[in-house]
Amino acid sequence: MDTVSISIVVVNIVVSLLFSLGSAPILVWMERRIAGFVQDRLGPNRCNIGGVRLGGLIQSFADMIKLVFKEDFRPDAIKEKRFFTIAPVIVFACAYLTYMVIPLADDLVIGDRKFIMQGLPFDLGILWFLAFAGLSVYGIIIGGWASSNKYSLLGGLRAAAQVISYEAAMGLSLISILIVYGSIHLGDMVRYQGELIFGFIPAWGIVLQPVAAILFIITSFAETNRAPFDIAEGESEIVGGFHTEYSAMRFGLFFVGEYVAMSAASALIVTLFFGGYQIPWLNTETMKENIDLVIIGIMVILPVASLFFAKWIKKNNKWADENDARNKEANWLIKALVVINILLLVVFGFFLLNELGINGVNIVVAFIQVATFAIKLLLMNFVFILVRWTLPRFRYDQLQNLGWKILLPIAIANIFFTGIFVVVMGV
Amino acid sequence: MGIKIVPRYGNSFKEKMYLPAVFGGMKVTFSHFFRNLKDTSNIKTIQYPEVQPSDITPRYRGIHRLTKRDDGSVRCVACFMCATACPAGCIFIEATKRTDGIDEKMPLKFNIDLLECIFCGGCVEACPCDAIRMDTGIFSFVKSKREDFVVDKDTLLSREPMKVKS
Repeated sequence: MDTVSISIVVVNIVVSLLFSLGSAPILVWMERRIAGFVQDRLGPNRCNIGGVRLGGLIQSFADMIKLVFKEDFRPDAIKEKRFFTIAPVIVFACAYLTYMVIPLADDLVIGDRKFIMQGLPFDLGILWFLAFAGLSVYGIIIGGWASSNKYSLLGGLRAAAQVISYEAAMGLSLISILIVYGSIHLGDMVRYQGELIFGFIPAWGIVLQPVAAILFIITSFAETNRAPFDIAEGESEIVGGFHTEYSAMRFGLFFVGEYVAMSAASALIVTLFFGGYQIPWLNTETMKENIDLVIIGIMVILPVASLFFAKWIKKNNKWADENDARNKEANWLIKALVVINILLLVVFGFFLLNELGINGVNIVVAFIQVATFAIKLLLMNFVFILVRWTLPRFRYDQLQNLGWKILLPIAIANIFFTGIFVVVMGV
Repeated sequence: MGIKIVPRYGNSFKEKMYLPAVFGGMKVTFSHFFRNLKDTSNIKTIQYPEVQPSDITPRYRGIHRLTKRDDGSVRCVACFMCATACPAGCIFIEATKRTDGIDEKMPLKFNIDLLECIFCGGCVEACPCDAIRMDTGIFSFVKSKREDFVVDKDTLLSREPMKVKS
């Protein structure tokens, strides 16, 4: 272990942490603001630090501080104290660990060594995800059971019923993808998606396996316990479901765990079906060859996008009270945007003027790919959130019907046809 | 009586697929989201404490006020009709003899406990002299102590009727 490998491992873990753990407050903020906009209302927009609201993002941090400092209350009726405590930890840790196999960028070559750009650099990929995604439901079941509350127990039961209805379809929908890609390592899959079919369509999973994509997206909604499959929580029917008896940071762990699980599921969907870190028509090799053009493209797109963003800020960031500090926020944000733009332009201009070495090119490409992945991840999370505010909750016998009678036969048929296609065409 | 046959929906293949309906719903929610994101002034929500509502009608029952005669003195004759009509029993009047010759009696004290008041408007209906009204349009009253919610005669007299925007 030398400095290079240590620093790359640290960077990988930190970026994975940022994407999973750090995204929780951002996702909570997105959820509340998008819910507001979908329902023609504003959502949280008042909380500020010295007038800076960042569109309401500060509210998430205020909520987090509130959760941390609340009384850690546990009802006396709870006899299984150990299980009661460990349940949110299981949910949180599983959601967090699933994230660790998502490839953030193509394998980074420094000198003559290759580094896998994942939180944990190994090639178990899908198996790791399935293992921990399946495990996280134990946290919900245990939490529901240990609460010694009928509603919580019902929630736990529902979670168990939910698991048996979606897991089979989920696993089988993944198999047809494995047949196509011929690997369980997520890095290989994303590299495969960098190719082109017929020379002009990106070979993304959703093009190659549209049925499997739909099946997997539906089942991953069930897997992350989100609407329309949040029957374990079911706040309109069984109070709060499995987390009725939880408060303060114990509840906070469930809460954050749900969002990290959602983020992990969308990361996997992006990795499997939407080309992961690949920019369409621009896979790693092409990008390395045309690094100058790519940098020039970014230098053109970035200021234009910032211009539109600044216009949008100026139009929408207002406060009714003239003297309030919140009225000055738009100016601050636009100034910050200008500074960020200038900094990035200077950095990229420096790259353009000075010939980058091979290592430098590789690092810049990895950086661009991580950014691409982050954007795709946010878009997928947006879809998750939009679906939650569109669809009503399924009844749990409906979910079982859907899982066993509709999704499972489709998944098996999909495997069958994919297998025949692969064997006949000899791909 | 003819028989009306109600068509049953949900049996065609397209409807059983669910997905077209799901995408249709997402189109609706996304159009709302995008319209509001593009220009937040499309949202009807008002920023409440800074912006006060402008659509309170003249018949809105806000906090009470005591009306005045043309010479500026209190119109109330302390007949206790409002206190009798009040179902919540929140009006407390002490009468005294009126010395300026306009009328026989006037209230010495006229207290309304706003925490007890249910804002039914019964006192306004009961008053024979049109001395008490609820047309101030004030809907928000926040105090830090319970005692502060008992408003006295001077406060009630000093309240003005709501200005009706045309």
